[in-house]
Amino acid sequence: MDALYESLVNFQLDFGYLIKPLIVGTLVSIVCSVVGCFIVLRGMAFLADAIAHSMLAGVIGGYLIMKLLFGAEANLMGMLIGAILAGIVTVALIGFVTRVSRIKQDTAIGIMYTGLFAAGAFVVSLKSVGELIHIDIYHFIVGSVLAVSNAELWLIAIVTSFVLSVVMLFYRSLQITSFDPVMAASIGVPVLAVDYLLTACTSLVVVSGVRVAGVILVVALIITPAATAYLLSDRLSRMIVIAAIIGAVGYWLGFAAAIVFGASPGSAIVVVMTLLFLTALFAAPRYGLMADWIRRANAVPQEIKEDVLGEIWRSKDRKMQVKNLLAKVTSPNMRIRNAIKLLVRQEYLEQTGNSISLTDKGTKEASRLVRAHRLWETYLTKTGTPETEIHKKAHQLEHISDEATVDYLDDKLGHPLTDPHGSEIPEDFEKAATAREFRASLLRTGDRAEIYSIGANGAELGLKIGQQVVARDRSPDNIWHLTSDQKDYHLSHDEADSIMVRLLSSGPSA
Amino acid sequence: MITESTSIAIGVEDLTVSYGPVPALLDVSLQIPAGKLVGVIGPNGSGKSTLIKSILGFVRPDVGTVRLFGQEVSDTRGKIAYVPQRGAVDWDFPITVREVAAMGRYGHRRWWQNLTREDYRLADEALAKVRMTEFSKRQIGQLSGGQQQRVFMARALAQDAEVLLLDEPFAGVDAATERAILDVLTDTKNKGKTLVVVHHDLATAAEYFDMLVLLKQRLFGFGEPRQILDPELLCEVYEGNLKVFAELTKTKNMAGKKD
Repeated sequence: MDALYESLVNFQLDFGYLIKPLIVGTLVSIVCSVVGCFIVLRGMAFLADAIAHSMLAGVIGGYLIMKLLFGAEANLMGMLIGAILAGIVTVALIGFVTRVSRIKQDTAIGIMYTGLFAAGAFVVSLKSVGELIHIDIYHFIVGSVLAVSNAELWLIAIVTSFVLSVVMLFYRSLQITSFDPVMAASIGVPVLAVDYLLTACTSLVVVSGVRVAGVILVVALIITPAATAYLLSDRLSRMIVIAAIIGAVGYWLGFAAAIVFGASPGSAIVVVMTLLFLTALFAAPRYGLMADWIRRANAVPQEIKEDVLGEIWRSKDRKMQVKNLLAKVTSPNMRIRNAIKLLVRQEYLEQTGNSISLTDKGTKEASRLVRAHRLWETYLTKTGTPETEIHKKAHQLEHISDEATVDYLDDKLGHPLTDPHGSEIPEDFEKAATAREFRASLLRTGDRAEIYSIGANGAELGLKIGQQVVARDRSPDNIWHLTSDQKDYHLSHDEADSIMVRLLSSGPSA
Repeated sequence: MITESTSIAIGVEDLTVSYGPVPALLDVSLQIPAGKLVGVIGPNGSGKSTLIKSILGFVRPDVGTVRLFGQEVSDTRGKIAYVPQRGAVDWDFPITVREVAAMGRYGHRRWWQNLTREDYRLADEALAKVRMTEFSKRQIGQLSGGQQQRVFMARALAQDAEVLLLDEPFAGVDAATERAILDVLTDTKNKGKTLVVVHHDLATAAEYFDMLVLLKQRLFGFGEPRQILDPELLCEVYEGNLKVFAELTKTKNMAGKKD
């Protein structure tokens, strides 16, 4: 028993000085991170920085007043109230400057906080004041968590429980004013009061945070764990809990590192928190960079899908071995395999063993794409694109295959039947389908159709509504030939465009 | 007198609002009857959103009053629901679809009270009405534009307010969503609610709304669509903007077909 007691006493003697800073730091980190969530979401990080700097003026003001009026040395309450007032004055001044002048907010913040910080530093460096008050500016700037007094511990405990209670009590008000202030106002939430409440809380946590990390680094205690949690969560309540945990863990790790390496706690803690943030940035399950890369690697680009469909369409029997397809399509094999899997799932392809073939749906889609490709090739030839570039260009352009574009090309080129290499341009399955009206210019050899409307020229040509016609080979000078009851009709491009038909049967009839 | 004031849902009187030397709204007076679906049209920067925000009590007028059912807006909190413009929302905010819908119930609870099971039931019901139930657990940034718009519709429905204000609900949504939103609006109107909708598409204005407000800082017209979509009046407000005339001809043709 004595031995245990002894060892506890020894432990207390050796490490007891660490207990207070651990408690203080944990409390401060948690409360900073919790308030930080709202600051991050409202985009107020710079404002927290401003409050931290302007605090110096408030602390010195509070110190001076307490000393001059009551003769109290370094009165904590006075300094705390001074700091909070300084924070609120800064915010009010920034708001005032932005409202009454053309100065933008970031500039106003920059002016006000440096100004107040300088005012504090100026006063404290005056000889007459320096004799009166004893403030260690160095500790104020870099923090001094190892030197916290019992009174400060109590103060920080009170501040922490106060701020956490405020956040819990006003959670919904804080959430809705951050998310949608207009709606908040419309249901009677006093938006401005909530804003000032949050500013007051920010001042409080900044004042406690400065003890741990100093003026320069205190912002990190507030925003870094909150931003880390932001990358890890989809709901505010969870973000707050995660931020608090990250804040505490970051503090412990940083503090331990500082003791082990004999470094300054403030900087060690902020380094650890930054590392935690970078880890989340890289590895967060949904909003991390890695998740993004994986998503992108797994996503099947439209182009690859289209290339696969087009390649199979061009092959014999519209059937292909997987390995031939992998060789033909110029993309990473894994992506092509993913594309095949997806196309099978979407019922464009059928896979039996190692051979894949187009379904009806796939055939239609593929012919639409090949049609786009070959029309683009024809178009490129017509615009005088060098022969060597045509295929490559058309390969890029075929992915622009929306209906309006393809229709435009088709019409402009006079509804060509073959591309410059002599390959057939597939017909427009979508439009030239039975039971749909379309232009006679889309008819292919052997199509049987009924005239639906004759347009401006039909009557002159002798065509009647309801007449049945069969399309014959188009002549090279781009004249459409239709036959009906042994009579031949010859139509120019414009005439064929103006007549609407309805398909009865397609292709060369038996 | 009493019956008249109760049948008027929104009474705007001599309203002038300014953000600087130029007024956003100048001397606007209008009486919107209860149970109507009202469209607010006008060129960009004509004060449409400002009118909405004034009715909400979010901007303080320089002159004039806004009354809801005869009462000053400050006394009528909770009677009004608001659907913001899509661009005005932070879509990265950590909040789920269901939480947004439940936000509609905040006005029915004091600030220290928790939402009840009944509140969540109403929120879920509203989500079902706009067919967003299956997306309840999604973060709002992971939705398509039309779905995002519907979530905020659900929030407004969950509020169970007498007056609904919507800022450009049809902006940037596909035709199917536009239909779906319009159905919900009409349905809500048929339950006796009053809806005021900021709208930018003149071609559909006549078809969608019972009454139109034509605004460009001043009130240029308030009445039935047929009265408001008058070429001369529109020409004055839109200053001969060509696109508007193209849309207007479309509207004319449609009106012709209807007759």
